[in-house]
Amino acid sequence: MTVLGSTLRAEWRRVATTRLWWALLIPVAVLAVLVNLFGGLLGAGVGDTGGDFPVLPASVAFTLTLTVVFAAVYGTVTAAGEFRHRTVTTAYLAAGGRGRVLVGKLVAGACVGALYALVAVLVGVAVGLLGQGTGRVSGAETLVGVAAVGITVAALWGAIGAAVGVLFANQVGALVVLLVYLQVGELVLAAVLNNSGSDALARLTPYLPGNSGDVAIYDFPARALAGPGFADRIVEQLAGVTAPPPWWGALSVLGGWAALAAVLAWTVGDRRDVT
Amino acid sequence: MNDGSGRIGVHDLTKQFGAVTAVAGLGFTVEPGGVTGFLGPNGSGKTTTLRMILGLVAPTSGEARINGARFAELDAPGRVVGAVLEAQGFHPTRSGRAHLRVAAAALGVPDRRVDEVLGLVGLADAGGRAVGGWSLGMKQRLALATALLGDPQVLVLDEPANGLDPEGIAWLREFLRGFARQGRTVLVSSHLLAEVEQGVDHLVVIDAGRCVFQGGLEQLRGTGPARVLVRCPDPVRLAQALAAAGVVEIDTLPDGRLGVGGVDAARVGDVALAAGVAVHGLVEERVDLEQMFLQLVSGVRR
Repeated sequence: MTVLGSTLRAEWRRVATTRLWWALLIPVAVLAVLVNLFGGLLGAGVGDTGGDFPVLPASVAFTLTLTVVFAAVYGTVTAAGEFRHRTVTTAYLAAGGRGRVLVGKLVAGACVGALYALVAVLVGVAVGLLGQGTGRVSGAETLVGVAAVGITVAALWGAIGAAVGVLFANQVGALVVLLVYLQVGELVLAAVLNNSGSDALARLTPYLPGNSGDVAIYDFPARALAGPGFADRIVEQLAGVTAPPPWWGALSVLGGWAALAAVLAWTVGDRRDVT
Repeated sequence: MNDGSGRIGVHDLTKQFGAVTAVAGLGFTVEPGGVTGFLGPNGSGKTTTLRMILGLVAPTSGEARINGARFAELDAPGRVVGAVLEAQGFHPTRSGRAHLRVAAAALGVPDRRVDEVLGLVGLADAGGRAVGGWSLGMKQRLALATALLGDPQVLVLDEPANGLDPEGIAWLREFLRGFARQGRTVLVSSHLLAEVEQGVDHLVVIDAGRCVFQGGLEQLRGTGPARVLVRCPDPVRLAQALAAAGVVEIDTLPDGRLGVGGVDAARVGDVALAAGVAVHGLVEERVDLEQMFLQLVSGVRR
């Protein structure tokens, strides 16, 4: 068996023998129901006017931006949990290299994050269609685009979360840093940049880690709702950024943040004394 | 990289945590085919040393090698070295069997090995229950089972007797002896000499991060003061006779007995008979290893 195969098989067993992955899946599913029921009802309302107004992709996109946080939390809690429960000692001794353990954690975070996004999309679409009262999805292509980008963003955030967990090696500390940054820190940072009076600084806002994922997810529904001319305005409003790049640009930036987080986790984790 | 020797070599190993020097220029070797006890008082650097051997703590200077390679250079470390380091290293909601299945996958050993090692340490019935509810002794057994998964050549154990009942300690001692008899290497730490005295072939004693003794148990006994205690009605005459016979290490004990060093009981008896001094009691003082150990680690010798 290959080294990577053993690492991933061990990681899969770690994930499957703890309850965290489905404990966090529950709020994801509940949010998907609530957000898309509302979106579906709204869609039914505007649908009556006879327009082809894709509300469902927009509400699914909103669900996905919320889901991303749970992906990140899973990655962080599970990776830092290895240090909390001191199972990291066994993991390092058995794996033959700390890099392998880190790769396993990153892949596990990404897979569970992608699963959360997939469930959010499936539940969201099902509930949204129920709310609309029709089986017809307006903007099916948009929906597929949103789903694909959202799953990728959640996977990247699952991996970033895992890297943060290994970086801090302290479950509570890592979780607080992650949540405070995502829920408060980045909002403040973006507000400061947006109001700095400098266009160059304001234009940095869509490239912040949390914003880059949101920008990528909102790009498809914004285009579908407002057309290419006004899409950027809508994304600016939804994500609170200035001059957003297209989805692929934002996704690449988030990939860059994930790579940076992984490198930091590797650098710090490789030198850490496990006492 | 792996020379297959089963030897652990520690060379000039030093570790500083900030201003604290936990291990200071420590050097010793552990040979296969026997159980080596790694003794020292609490805080003497045992755990730090074992963790440096296992690549978990980076030395400030010096190095530790297993089979001629640093831990990080071993190709399949889990199949070369098994380690029992702490009882707390388990996820509380994971079952013992699930814990072992994770490690088995990481090591690349077949899953049937999981049940083999569970049976070996006497946990076959408890394996399916969450580890959070286990006793410390059961966790120690699970840690040993994890260490044995990869059928390692070298076993490193940090205070493995903690939490074990006397029966468990006796079982562990026999197990380790049997393991070493197969030509494998066992390094087991303890802060109590009595705990390992019956089970070890070699000793490495450290104090304040330095090696103060390395050798066999007999060698340790040999470094102690061997005395013959003599009870006799006329100690002064016996002392004179012994002095005349060339025996100079003679003390008078508080209870009136003579403590005679550097000779055996037969010689003292012969001298007394030749001098016509009655002897009421003749005892060879047994060297108390615990006492020896305490002297070693307090840096004072009588």
